[in-house]
Amino acid sequence: MIDSSHHKASLLEVDGLSIDYGLKGISSRAIDGVSFALRAGEAVGLVGESGSGKTTTAMAIAGLLSPNARVSSGEVRYRGNRLPIDDDAAMRPHRWTETSVVFQGAMNALNPVHRIVKQIAEPCMLKLGMSRGEATGRARELLELVGIPADRGAAYPHELSGGMRQRVMIAMALACRPSIVIGDEPTTALDVITQAQILKLLGELRSQLNLALILITHDLSVVAECCDRVMIMYAGRIVEDGAVSEIFAKPKHPYTRLLIDAIPNPANGKKMIRPIPGDPPNLLTRPSGCVFHPRCPSAIGICATEVPSLEKCGQGRVACHLHRSSQQDRVSVHA
Amino acid sequence: MSESIIRYSGRQARAIKTFLGRFLGYGGAQVGLVCLAFFIVVAAVPDILVGPLQTAINATGEFLAPPSSQHVLGTDEVGRDVLNLVVHGARISLTIALLATVISLVVGTTIGMTAGYYGGVVDVWLMRFTDFFFVMPSFVLALVITPVVVEVIGRGQEILGFRPSLFVILVVIGMTSWAFVARIVRSQTLSLKERTFIDRARVVGSSNFSIMVRHILPNLVPQIAANGALVVAGAIFVETSLSFLGLGDPLQPSWGTLLSLAQRAGAASAGAWWYLGAPGACVLTVSLSFVLIGNALDDTFNPRRRVIP
Amino acid sequence: MSRRIGSILIRAIITLLMVAVLNFVLFRVIPGDPAALLLGGARTSVSAEQIEVQRQNWGLDRPLFPDQVLDYLSSTLRGDFGYSFKFRGRHVADLIVERLPATIVLVGLAQFIAIICGVMLGLYAGWRRGGAGDNIATGASLALYSTPAFWLGMILVVIFSTALGWVPGYGAHSPGAIAGSLDWLLDYLRHLALPVTAVALGLVGQYVVVARAAMSDVVTEDYMVTARAKGLTGGQMLMRHAFRNAMLPVVTLITLNLGYVVAGAITVEAVFAWPGIGGLTVEALNARDYPVLQGIFLLLGASIVVANLAADLAYGLLDPRVRQ
Repeated sequence: MIDSSHHKASLLEVDGLSIDYGLKGISSRAIDGVSFALRAGEAVGLVGESGSGKTTTAMAIAGLLSPNARVSSGEVRYRGNRLPIDDDAAMRPHRWTETSVVFQGAMNALNPVHRIVKQIAEPCMLKLGMSRGEATGRARELLELVGIPADRGAAYPHELSGGMRQRVMIAMALACRPSIVIGDEPTTALDVITQAQILKLLGELRSQLNLALILITHDLSVVAECCDRVMIMYAGRIVEDGAVSEIFAKPKHPYTRLLIDAIPNPANGKKMIRPIPGDPPNLLTRPSGCVFHPRCPSAIGICATEVPSLEKCGQGRVACHLHRSSQQDRVSVHA
Repeated sequence: MSESIIRYSGRQARAIKTFLGRFLGYGGAQVGLVCLAFFIVVAAVPDILVGPLQTAINATGEFLAPPSSQHVLGTDEVGRDVLNLVVHGARISLTIALLATVISLVVGTTIGMTAGYYGGVVDVWLMRFTDFFFVMPSFVLALVITPVVVEVIGRGQEILGFRPSLFVILVVIGMTSWAFVARIVRSQTLSLKERTFIDRARVVGSSNFSIMVRHILPNLVPQIAANGALVVAGAIFVETSLSFLGLGDPLQPSWGTLLSLAQRAGAASAGAWWYLGAPGACVLTVSLSFVLIGNALDDTFNPRRRVIP
Repeated sequence: MSRRIGSILIRAIITLLMVAVLNFVLFRVIPGDPAALLLGGARTSVSAEQIEVQRQNWGLDRPLFPDQVLDYLSSTLRGDFGYSFKFRGRHVADLIVERLPATIVLVGLAQFIAIICGVMLGLYAGWRRGGAGDNIATGASLALYSTPAFWLGMILVVIFSTALGWVPGYGAHSPGAIAGSLDWLLDYLRHLALPVTAVALGLVGQYVVVARAAMSDVVTEDYMVTARAKGLTGGQMLMRHAFRNAMLPVVTLITLNLGYVVAGAITVEAVFAWPGIGGLTVEALNARDYPVLQGIFLLLGASIVVANLAADLAYGLLDPRVRQ
């Protein structure tokens, strides 16, 4: 199904997006100059620690920024048109019909007092103008599609297992035939086997429906399982972006390398995971230069003073002074 | 040795400072504390402010005279100065409410802590007992218990400086309003007793009683304080209602008794708004102050969520 | 499901038993002979022999426990609460039944108004948390919450009855009104206006506070984010997702309150000389009419226990998670 003809034009472009959160008069930058493009049917993993800005990036794309968020620069374009991501009401028609979200921990993401079939049918009625009967029919189809017998639609969320609820969440996300589905840590609360089933389901649906998938996770192994491309975020910036195979084989950014080293892999005899030294960055007191330099094992002089830009490097992009073409000259200047 | 003590008290001082900073940050807490301070001063020295309590014999004013320069809050149906009555009423109302709260907190904490600490059968029965007082409002229980107890002990001599009916009211309010405190203390105790410092005390050989008093009780203070403020508000409410229904004592008139006298004198139909307005406004202010302080305390200790009973 | 209801029922029965036992104990504590007390109202018309017969009928010559307690419980179950002191020789149960309708009208109407206004205002304040409307509504309801309803009633009388003369501030009927006519009904409603307002104002603060708290909790729930992500409008989010969840604790409170308001209205009834249970309570208190007081206590206790029971069951019906 995924054929290269679909990959020509960008479905979504994020261009120099910076977003601040204001809290009690203090403003902190959640994402800082994030730029990337997403093609139809492409699966991209967005990986980083908590506070890295991956969720803010995704919520901006879905038009779900919280009221205290402010877009200080940049824009998001969908099919070439600028999205009014800082206007809650103007984003409403876009939501769910173009971009939908599979939230984490589907227990709380589903309304406890409504039957699941009603929750899946709701956007079909409100957004697609279906009648109640049509919407219920569609909801039952969607349940079957995600591997739940349609009869279970009469159940309430608490009557289902965690994996089932996540399937319901996926069925709900597909209700209005969106072109982008954002998975916000969709498998975090699940056991390993269920996690694998859900990822497999997402992968199948994606190729079946030609969905673009943005998978937010802190877990690189999840990305390895079902994404074509991965973007590593750190302290609000994308530090590396490239094909999954390439990044796993040859990570360029020191942070990516540490992340990959942190994956336990008993098959390789690597039983002990190696934690990344230091603390995650505090967004209120952002380090100068490269935000990762205080924790970086290979930091050099320039890293503390100059912000590395995200530049093309091989097939992907990387923001690291160690990988700049003019790296040697600059180092010698500072040395 | 001395160094560690200094460091410890320093840490405590800092904790108190952050607590006060956050607590006083709430507008409600500021308003409540200011109002309360005012009423406590008034209640502390009524004789200095307005002279001794006036009676029908030494009353000076006209009957039911509206506010004037001589009687700022007017007079009642026998010519007593309403300001004088209200100021003396502050002392009685506040004392009853605060003492009733002390009883309520002691009973509630003891029962809640015992149930939570010992668990098992003790817990089950104590909580079943608590359930009854949780369901039955203090006002309803006090309504039937108070007149019976007053009848039994008689209406003659004062008890600990209180007229018998007031003493009974304060004890009955205290003994019937502790269930909410007991429930909260119990659930806190249940989580506290699983902590390691309790185990450590047990290993060292501390008795159950000393573990409860030395180790668990200090950790319950925030919860008790926040709920204590709400208990005071409730106690004022119940005392005012009971006194209004005639269970108070005219020789020691609380705000509720004044309202009861005003009602009997037909102050409302006579349009004597000053007579019934003054004590009611006092009840409203004091009770609201305690509610505001309680909410602010609750927000400070437990910022996540709050449920007003 | 049946186990849950079973334990709820057992708790309710235990509470009712404790109410009855407390009543029994209080009654025996009062100095004097219970038989004389019970027949007190009828004393003038009853001879000493009749009292002795009644003593035996009531088993007052037998031991306090268990005979008398059990007898008391069984007579209470039969609705026999003895005779009133004040209303010479009348059955307490009859007096209560006679006065109950007036209280039910007053409290029912006030509840209805308070629920509609309070819940809507509270839900709105919680939905628009932190806004100007929220601050005003919360401040006003905390003030109302702290104000005794009977005092509000007195203030209402001063303003609307004494000063403005719009509505009467005393009793339920004007003298000389003919029962059943339209004028009679209008007169009744005019008498009802102020007491209903006072009781409703006393209740409304609590409803606003609780509804607001419930709604504030709901708006931070994950499923509200889902609803927003689905592209629902604010109104759709409120009506389809927030409302029912926020109503769960509110319905519980409303049902519980149905048990408490009879007690809460006592003081208000006293202000307006409303001929209901409250009025009866005040008369009984003033005359130290203990049998009536005990009967009222049983009624209040029973209504509270029943309301608690109803609240538990209603919660189960509304919340599918409890239904399991």
